[in-house]
Amino acid sequence: MNIPMTFTTSSFRGALSRRGVLAGAALAATMAMTGLAHAQATIDQPAPAFSATTADGKTVTLDSYKGKTVVLEWTNHDCPFVRKHYGSGNIPALQKEAMAQGVVWLQVISSAPGQQGHVDGATATRLNKDRGAVPTQVLLDPSGQLGKAYGAQTSPHLFIVNPQGVLVYKGGIDSIATAKADDIAKADPYVKTALGELAAGKKITHASTKPYGCSIKYGS
Amino acid sequence: MNFLRSAVASLVASTTTHASNVIALGMLASLASLMSTANAAPPTDRSATDEVEVRLISASSQVAPGQTLLLALEQRIAPHWHTYWKNPGDSGQPTSIEWTLPKSATAGDILWPAPKRFDVGPITNYGYEDKVLLLTEVRLPQDLAPGSTATVNADATWLVCREECIPQQATLSLSLPVGTAAKDSTDASALSMARAALPRKASFPAAARIEGRDLLVTWPVSAVPEVKQALFMPQDWGRIQHAAKPQLDRAGEDWRLRVPVGDEPATAGKPMNGLLLLDGKAWEVSLPVTGVATAPTPTTASQNTTPAIPGLSGSPSLASSGSGEADISLWTAMGLALVGGLILNLMPCVFPVLAIKALGFLHGNASDHRRQGLAYTAGVLAAFAALGAVLLALRGAGDSVGWGFQFHSPLFVLLLAWLMFVLGLSLAGQLQIGAGFAGVGEGLASKPGLTGSFFTGVLATVVATPCTAPFMGAAMAYALAQPAVELMAVFLALGLGLALPYLALAWWPALQRRMPRPGVWMDVLKQALAFPMFAAAIWLVWVIAQQAGPMGVLVALAGMGLLALAAWIRSVSRNASSRWQWTGAGAAIASLAAVAALLPTLSAISGTDSPGATTSSGVARNAGVDHEPYSPERLAQLRAQGKPVFVNLTASWCITCLVNERVALSTDEVREAFEKQGVTYLKGDWTRQDPRITDLLKQHDRSGVPLYLFYPAGTGGAAQVLPQLLTPGIVTTALKAGPS
Repeated sequence: MNIPMTFTTSSFRGALSRRGVLAGAALAATMAMTGLAHAQATIDQPAPAFSATTADGKTVTLDSYKGKTVVLEWTNHDCPFVRKHYGSGNIPALQKEAMAQGVVWLQVISSAPGQQGHVDGATATRLNKDRGAVPTQVLLDPSGQLGKAYGAQTSPHLFIVNPQGVLVYKGGIDSIATAKADDIAKADPYVKTALGELAAGKKITHASTKPYGCSIKYGS
Repeated sequence: MNFLRSAVASLVASTTTHASNVIALGMLASLASLMSTANAAPPTDRSATDEVEVRLISASSQVAPGQTLLLALEQRIAPHWHTYWKNPGDSGQPTSIEWTLPKSATAGDILWPAPKRFDVGPITNYGYEDKVLLLTEVRLPQDLAPGSTATVNADATWLVCREECIPQQATLSLSLPVGTAAKDSTDASALSMARAALPRKASFPAAARIEGRDLLVTWPVSAVPEVKQALFMPQDWGRIQHAAKPQLDRAGEDWRLRVPVGDEPATAGKPMNGLLLLDGKAWEVSLPVTGVATAPTPTTASQNTTPAIPGLSGSPSLASSGSGEADISLWTAMGLALVGGLILNLMPCVFPVLAIKALGFLHGNASDHRRQGLAYTAGVLAAFAALGAVLLALRGAGDSVGWGFQFHSPLFVLLLAWLMFVLGLSLAGQLQIGAGFAGVGEGLASKPGLTGSFFTGVLATVVATPCTAPFMGAAMAYALAQPAVELMAVFLALGLGLALPYLALAWWPALQRRMPRPGVWMDVLKQALAFPMFAAAIWLVWVIAQQAGPMGVLVALAGMGLLALAAWIRSVSRNASSRWQWTGAGAAIASLAAVAALLPTLSAISGTDSPGATTSSGVARNAGVDHEPYSPERLAQLRAQGKPVFVNLTASWCITCLVNERVALSTDEVREAFEKQGVTYLKGDWTRQDPRITDLLKQHDRSGVPLYLFYPAGTGGAAQVLPQLLTPGIVTTALKAGPS
């Protein structure tokens, strides 16, 4: 239905002269779209699907893990709250326990380039080796796209997706929001409990808890 | 604490044995700041790290038995760093103090001053910068002996953040002589000023109501006549989405602040505590809560993809996205749809239809015009409602659909081509249709009936479908992911936008008077406008050629021939004797029947083609740049190799796509930029339904083409989404902007 196509060049130029205006409008529209669908991950709803690049350069999708429980753990190795749980061995132990049960554990690094916690794939792998961490994969998300899709706010921030692809847990690693390793033993271990309940086919007691830690260093 | 100190001590011991004392000192300093325990034994009233200097302050230099002693933890915070309020917001940790006090003395909670709001991208925090006094009241026991010394110890723990965060702690101590009466210290006035500045209990009644997924905080206008800015800071986690921008408006006698609820909304019946900040003044509120939050909007299957935040690319001025995302609300989507609908009027496909219709206002009276306007609006809305219903039905059946989905059907394209052709004939004066389907043609000669106006509305909608107006994309993508009611609301808003200009023209004769005077030019214009219609028909035949091949073209053209025949027979026989009129009508109907008989042929033809078979046809040839057909596998392969990739998702029925290819993507400038940077150009042709392309669209929250993606070199980066209207500059800037 395109008039420019009939009146050939001259009217085509006419269309071009409007492009400034149109481009502006399109820009506004696209800007509006950036506000769109910041659909945060919602409990009992399908978890936002994704396709992400791993530390070893592969591409994985959430879909490909259908049939398995998936843990997403946002991390930043320099954040004191993350150090609390890695230095104490709490998260690595949880990872091992989860892996033994066939759970897929995905570490996600959403720090933007130049920000704290931003690492390349090799560094991410080495860091995990040094810390005795054994995630199934490390997902590199320097654009923050994955983080924003899930509404990840802190490091650590944890999400659990059940084998049917439904989000069943989001929140903190445990209940005491401090950076002191001493508090781990006193805390209610939300993620550990949730994984246990999920494996036992029970309803998860605390499906949505307060995440705590450093803010995720998204690019602005 | 002790182990830290001994660690530092042992480090001193070990480093002093080495020659380089300077380095050792430097290490020690940084270590001390890392460990954040700068206070050496015995504890004093102050301590400092690189980021925060803390001091324990008493309002009394001498205390008395039974006194309520005012103490403060003062934090002097280095520029750009901040500590946190009791509700730190989306991340962070509030400062905490553990008191060790004389026997039987009790300390109250920290009396928190009003915090500041910090927004860093999608994360919002509440806290303090520069300097803050955290006051605590300590109740001293009656049996404190005058002449003795009261010692208060504060174990303070805080998190200080800039971009990075450092947990710190200090043990501070004050020894205060006990007398019979308390004496003010030199800090007394500062502390009492700080106390006076604490948020007061609100002097007005305020309440909270939960509506759907929103929290509404209300307070009477009579109590606070002027409010420009308002903010509600709940004391507990999960009550609201901190990062959302609250919306303030007046509802009758109340101010109303609307903010989306968080992961743990307040429960009705229990008060919700927090601060209400009105133009910077903080009021402590304990809001009675009514209403229950609805479950979060279900994510439909079609939304079950990465809700990518399109990182806007292009020139640096465009690249300001990524921060401050909030969910698009139904109202926003409807607003965008309305504006999109308005813009649709200017689209070349719609404009002729309306122009001719509007010329009708040069005749007739005002009340008739208004009825026409309403009938037209009804037609547009009915058509959009029908479109919405079809979309819902398809979605219900599990089809993945998007805007322009109709064009995936060659049958639809064929019918539209014929419609355009008939409209063209009518405009050119070759066809006298009754006041039926296309009242358009009658617009000048006779007063078209209301039915005509209604169907003009339907027609305007039909011809508008291949056009994607700016603003529509966002609204459409939103609508397609929503439940039925919301989808319909957005579609109707779009329809209303499309109908508005004509409706306005119909309503106000003043606007009509601004139109040029009637004359012969109107007939000329009418005939001239026939050609855009023919052009549209030609273009649609070209689309059919790609969808159904040469046989499809044959069917389309044969149909046009028969339609022309029917029109001719009708026109030559209408002024003949009644017998011939009947014969003519019969012959015309026979040709129309033949046209109808052609339709099954087309489905047979197009049915034999597989969707992928035409991928590299017309659209592909149209481009001047070397490219490969898009496939997810190829994209993944290129990305794994870290090569930069430009993806263009297009369709031959998409005007915007074709214009973009013509004016931006096939220019030498862009071609050279692609070559220079080794960009692989992948093109996905959605002229016919292709689930692999639909998937990629969905990943970027689009419901239709065009979609332009640029994946910069390197394996980590996600795609940048380019605007829907391209210029060579936008493309080349995007290529440059991508980190190499």
